[in-house]
Amino acid sequence: MKKDLWWLILPVGLILIVVAIVIYYINRIRVLSNIVDNAWSQIDVQLKRRFDLVPNLVETVKGYMEHEREAIELVTKARERMMGVTTTKERIEAEGALTQALKTIFALAENYPQLKASENFRLLQEQLEGIENKIAYARQFYNDSVLRFNNMITTIPGSFFAGGRAPREYFEIPEGERAPPRVTFK
Amino acid sequence: MSKISFHDQMTKNRRQSILLSFFVFLILLALVYVIAEIFAPGYSLIVVGFASIFIGIYILMTYRYGDQILLTATNAKPATGNEYVFLRNTVEGLSLAAGIPSPEIYVIESDELNAFATGRDPENASVTVTTGLLKNLKRDEIEGVIGHELSHIRNYDIRFATLVAVMVGLVAILSHMLLRSFRWGVRGRRRSKSRGRDGGGLFLALGFVLAIFAPIIVRIVQFAVSRRREYLADASSVELTRYPEGLASALEKIMQTNKGKMNVSEAVSHLFFVDPNKSALDAVYATHPPIEQRIRILRSM
Repeated sequence: MKKDLWWLILPVGLILIVVAIVIYYINRIRVLSNIVDNAWSQIDVQLKRRFDLVPNLVETVKGYMEHEREAIELVTKARERMMGVTTTKERIEAEGALTQALKTIFALAENYPQLKASENFRLLQEQLEGIENKIAYARQFYNDSVLRFNNMITTIPGSFFAGGRAPREYFEIPEGERAPPRVTFK
Repeated sequence: MSKISFHDQMTKNRRQSILLSFFVFLILLALVYVIAEIFAPGYSLIVVGFASIFIGIYILMTYRYGDQILLTATNAKPATGNEYVFLRNTVEGLSLAAGIPSPEIYVIESDELNAFATGRDPENASVTVTTGLLKNLKRDEIEGVIGHELSHIRNYDIRFATLVAVMVGLVAILSHMLLRSFRWGVRGRRRSKSRGRDGGGLFLALGFVLAIFAPIIVRIVQFAVSRRREYLADASSVELTRYPEGLASALEKIMQTNKGKMNVSEAVSHLFFVDPNKSALDAVYATHPPIEQRIRILRSM
């Protein structure tokens, strides 16, 4: 009687263990994938905040930096360009252009002591630098998340449960952004 | 790879939290039982029953509101206002890098250079820094310190630390009560003996041993666990900022500047970035590893 029972318990237990493992990996892959999506949207949040702050900066700077119309124009243009983008690649490029334009403005601001002394400008600069850092950190977390997800679905045993999911793409910094900003003093 | 080991670390921390709570809870019950046997022999089981309910509620409440109590006790104020824009940006940015929601941010008016994180989990957490830290450190150094504190939050160290603070405090109070009462407790024993009750002496001796050793045992657990976590948080901080030198030079400056007079209770000293009381810098009883050692490890990364 007892022996018969063992024949039942053993396979059922084994099946339960296998089912538990399968559920764990399927869920884990889903969770990691969601984290990657969330990490991507975190970058978006910061980019949007920067986008919203740019007009403020332009307004503040205009009065002081009359000789730097070109540089200010560049910022406004980069911002406008972002509204028209459709593909991810275009967007990354437009974001890069805006980053460059902002860097130029802040570098040029060094020549305008009155502007630098303005409380409003200092706050804006602090805010935008903070956002710039946050964008970098958000990208770092995004890439970390992608690494974790890709590791999971390309190594055994995770790869058995990947269900044809492709590895996610890393956020690569566009070519132009790698070079330090060019600043010309007239 | 390192991320996976962090995941393991969180599971381990959770397990350790439960184990430690259980262990200290037993010590607390033993203390209560001995106190009851000495002062109310015959009613000890009833006393223990009520006491365990009371202790349970106490632990739950302090666990729930411990961070608020700590923030109030250290006189921490919310970091609103324009002078803290950089601090807020740093905390928010590094939270993004750590993948946790941004914690609440507080500031303590003090010339000492220190910081702490507290709360239950990443959703209910806060980071506090002293104004001295903001004044005396450069930006990448502050980033290193904040990264360290955020790592405590991400690794669930804060939950463990809050629990430890609560329990260490409770054991200390009960042991203190017991030791104090021995002065007139001796008279009490004589009276009970005259009533013909045996075993009073045994419990008295037991109580004496417990009162002396319980706080020490609990503190040793606290030291051992919290020191290991400091190293881990240093490493995680570098993982976030990708700049070991920032944290290393922050530690160096703190070592030179701090005088160790922040007036913080020993029960919560393990929550801080560096030990707030210099008397506790002694190697055995320190809740933090020696700063020189931390700097050496960071510089070798």
